[in-house]
Amino acid sequence: MKKIAVILFGLFILLVGCQTNDSPETSEEAAAEESTPEEVESEPNEPVEVVFWHAMGGALQEALDQIVDQYNASQDAVVVTADYQGTYDEALTKFNTIAGTDSAPTMMQVFEIGTKSMINSGGIEPIQTFVDAEGYDMSQLEENIINYYQLDDTFYSMPFNSSTPVMYYNKDAFDAAGLDADTPPATYQEVEAASKQITESNPEMKGFALQAYGWLYEQLLANQGALLMNNDNGRSDTPTEVGFTEEEGKSVFEWVERMINDDTFANYGTNGDNMIAGFFAEDVAMFIASSANVRNVVDSAPFEVGVGFLPYPEDKDREGVVIGGASLWMMNGKPEEEQLAAWDFMKYLQTPEIQGAWHASTGYFAINPAAYEQPIVLETYEQIPQLQVTVEQLQSTVSSFATQGALMDMIPEGRRITETALETVYNGGDVDTAYQSVVDQINAAIEQANRARGE
Amino acid sequence: MKQVALPYQEHEHKGLLKALKLQRMASFSKGMLFLLPSIILFSVFLFYPLGRTLYLSFFLTNSSGQTTVFVGLENYMNIFNSPIFLKSLQSTLLFVLYTVPGTILVSLFLAIIANEKLKGVGLFRTMYASTMGISTAAASVFWLFLFHPSIGWLNQLLKLLGADAIGWLTNPDWALFSVSIATIWMNSGFTFLILLGGLQSIDQYLYESANIDGAGYFYKLRRITLPMLSPTLFFVITVSFINAFQTFGQIDMLTRGGPQNETNLIVYSIYQDAFMNYQFGTASAQAMILFFIILILTLIQFKLGERKVHYQ
Amino acid sequence: MTIPLRTKIILYTLLVLAALIMFAPLLITFMMSFMSGQEIMMGNMIPTSFSLENYVAVFQRFPLVRYLLNSLVMSLLIMTGQLIISSLAAYAFVFIEFKGRDLIFFLFIATMMVPFEASVIPNFHTIRDLNWLNSYQGLALPFFAMAFGTFLLRQNFKQIPKELKEASQIAGIGDLKFFLTVVLPVAKTSLLTLGVYGFLTSWNMYLWPLLTTTDDRFRTVQIGLRQLQSQEQLNEWGVIMAGAIIVVIPTLMILFLGQKRLQQGLTEGALK
Repeated sequence: MKKIAVILFGLFILLVGCQTNDSPETSEEAAAEESTPEEVESEPNEPVEVVFWHAMGGALQEALDQIVDQYNASQDAVVVTADYQGTYDEALTKFNTIAGTDSAPTMMQVFEIGTKSMINSGGIEPIQTFVDAEGYDMSQLEENIINYYQLDDTFYSMPFNSSTPVMYYNKDAFDAAGLDADTPPATYQEVEAASKQITESNPEMKGFALQAYGWLYEQLLANQGALLMNNDNGRSDTPTEVGFTEEEGKSVFEWVERMINDDTFANYGTNGDNMIAGFFAEDVAMFIASSANVRNVVDSAPFEVGVGFLPYPEDKDREGVVIGGASLWMMNGKPEEEQLAAWDFMKYLQTPEIQGAWHASTGYFAINPAAYEQPIVLETYEQIPQLQVTVEQLQSTVSSFATQGALMDMIPEGRRITETALETVYNGGDVDTAYQSVVDQINAAIEQANRARGE
Repeated sequence: MKQVALPYQEHEHKGLLKALKLQRMASFSKGMLFLLPSIILFSVFLFYPLGRTLYLSFFLTNSSGQTTVFVGLENYMNIFNSPIFLKSLQSTLLFVLYTVPGTILVSLFLAIIANEKLKGVGLFRTMYASTMGISTAAASVFWLFLFHPSIGWLNQLLKLLGADAIGWLTNPDWALFSVSIATIWMNSGFTFLILLGGLQSIDQYLYESANIDGAGYFYKLRRITLPMLSPTLFFVITVSFINAFQTFGQIDMLTRGGPQNETNLIVYSIYQDAFMNYQFGTASAQAMILFFIILILTLIQFKLGERKVHYQ
Repeated sequence: MTIPLRTKIILYTLLVLAALIMFAPLLITFMMSFMSGQEIMMGNMIPTSFSLENYVAVFQRFPLVRYLLNSLVMSLLIMTGQLIISSLAAYAFVFIEFKGRDLIFFLFIATMMVPFEASVIPNFHTIRDLNWLNSYQGLALPFFAMAFGTFLLRQNFKQIPKELKEASQIAGIGDLKFFLTVVLPVAKTSLLTLGVYGFLTSWNMYLWPLLTTTDDRFRTVQIGLRQLQSQEQLNEWGVIMAGAIIVVIPTLMILFLGQKRLQQGLTEGALK
């Protein structure tokens, strides 16, 4: 039986050994994290670490990292660590699962449709607290942004990167087809006509592509003044069903169906990269995508690129766009020093200099309009006047419940439902069935979400 | 660690005392001791989560996964009425149907041609086995590019041949097929290695005596190679089945379940419901169904396998 | 036995064709990783220029060395854990007779049928409550127990004659000593196989590291690869492909070196 004891002991050592092998590093780090606030109190020279989660991949991450580095170099009191956490969806999921633990960040970037779910999570500190404490002036920000993010006179999060959908088009192809390359088509019907003309002049090229992306569907609804959810897009009360009428909801599907029948529509499914690559390869002449791409598309396209407003149905008025993008959230349960440090960084991001550089290097618009006077912006406009379109479109938006955008925690799910329906139509499916499935499934999801909150 | 280690040690002490008192329990205790690490780990990271999943499947949850409302079997009723889940089941079965025989046939073919004693055959073997060393993430990147509608090689080749471009991953008629092709490629390395090993362990004497009888190539293949390979084949089929049902990575990277949920395989559907829609209850119900499907299939397979397999 | 020339020609043709097809995706990616973004966007199939730009970009933009190191530590940990725990379990299944052994063995095999993704939510919560997010043990521990490894080693241990065990028992050699001095050396090949297999599979994991690491200090290289792709923006294919090539190099090297052993060992596991 000694043997068993030996085995036992050996096993125990092995198991523990596995842990101790790597625990020095982790426990050190854990200790460092825990003791950060104390250190700050006792040694004011030690900079406060702010962990900043974001969802900016690729070229956007580069632009953001640059800003963070600049901020860290500009002062000694705070060090911001920017951590990429995958797509918006993934980052939000991650936050929801670890909210309240030590692994939670100090501040985090969340996409606009996560607003409601962040508020419901209970893990956040409304930035209104800091605004009030300091008397910070939020009115310097773009009015439309205030519209979206101010709920019951409270700012829960700090707006940061915002974009709107715009229509990109190939100017050379427009010229070749005998179209006026300086006036992009404005309505659904004009887009259809232009597409036909392009395909006729060049059978190799399709006219128009619409990524099957729920965000774009929401925008196309808002642009004709339609609500996504009832109860004023969830702004007066929690939504109980969809807010658009059958005519409004179907308009997008029917528009696409007409172009499919004309054989002028290019289907790239849900993949944005495929669509842009198709545009560059001159397989398609027009597409709709986030303005965050403007810089990249204009720089990389081997032909001249035009940027136009989001189209709307002929028989409606243009209402404008909803603010896309994301805002920055402050977490509660963090030491005050850390929160204040994060607040300082948030304010830094609002400055016209930073917003100007951000706008010019990406295509997200500046949330602080003063940024448009910055030399860097003016210079970039000379080279890339297309960047201005996104700003003009935003500023010509009519403020209403439709363009304020919907507030509801299940919108990410709703987007995926819409995307499936769009794909169905792209592949020749019936519009009525596709539309009905959107309404039924979204309503079911709303009901489920309202019940699951258990209120 | 301390929290885990303490009860664990106590447990072992109890086991030890028992073993001392009851001699006839000695071998049982001994066996359990050797198995203890596995059993503890399986309990914590497999059986407990499975039970927890079952529990969750009777509830609605909030976004951090805490249960809010008890709904009984409603989640199960909902998913069986949901066209999305039914579609997902259908796609999963089709995917299994494409990839399991596909992988086995491709690997078997490769193993047979690479089994001959030829000069330089080692290089070919290495090449065929190489996909085993390529991660799902990397392999998906390769195929994502090959399938790219405008700049991908497949459509470029079609263009050269004068054919129309195919929406490999965007056309619902093609997407599941494309993902299956990529999956067959990814899995073939591992399967190839095992089948090749199986072929090489077949006694050469059998072939020699068949040669003396003047047997042809295909006769030998059918009468000697395949029967003698059957235990290996059985193993490979079982593993492939289980793998196919658990496919996740390439779906996430190639299609995200689209187009029209055509490639929304069951594990992806679970992931999506849990981590993107925060419906942990429905997701858990789906997970339980997946578990039972695999359980039943494996049982059937073992029953059939025992009868059919020819052991050396 | 000699192979007739005609058969040889057919075989070589088949071998070369199959190799081309199987190797093409890797080759194409390798080639593309040296092309400029512009060239790829134009749909060029053959690079007209050769540049290391993409590799420089990928190392500059991401802490790739750190990621590689993390993957290495995690994979080695998992590999070691699996070897120890699986061999112990396999030993019990072969050499120790006790009541309920078959039932437990069936339970072990049944674990192979539980998709990890299905139990990932409770597992995540466990690791979170232990405060093991962003740690190597959080990444590795859930994978230590491994039914496949136990199964494979069991098949191998079975080939050791029972008489040997009986003889050693009579000679008063205990289980632990028998395990360490007789069983393990005999099963060297299988252990090596399992080691390589465990290393490869852990190196290639991605859902779990994605969920449990939020910090660059612990992220693995697969997650790094996922990070190269962006959601809304145009992908920089050249950079992504350079990243993919870097990610596969270590595993391919291990595979090339250990392929023969791996093949022998895995086959032994497959044969009853």
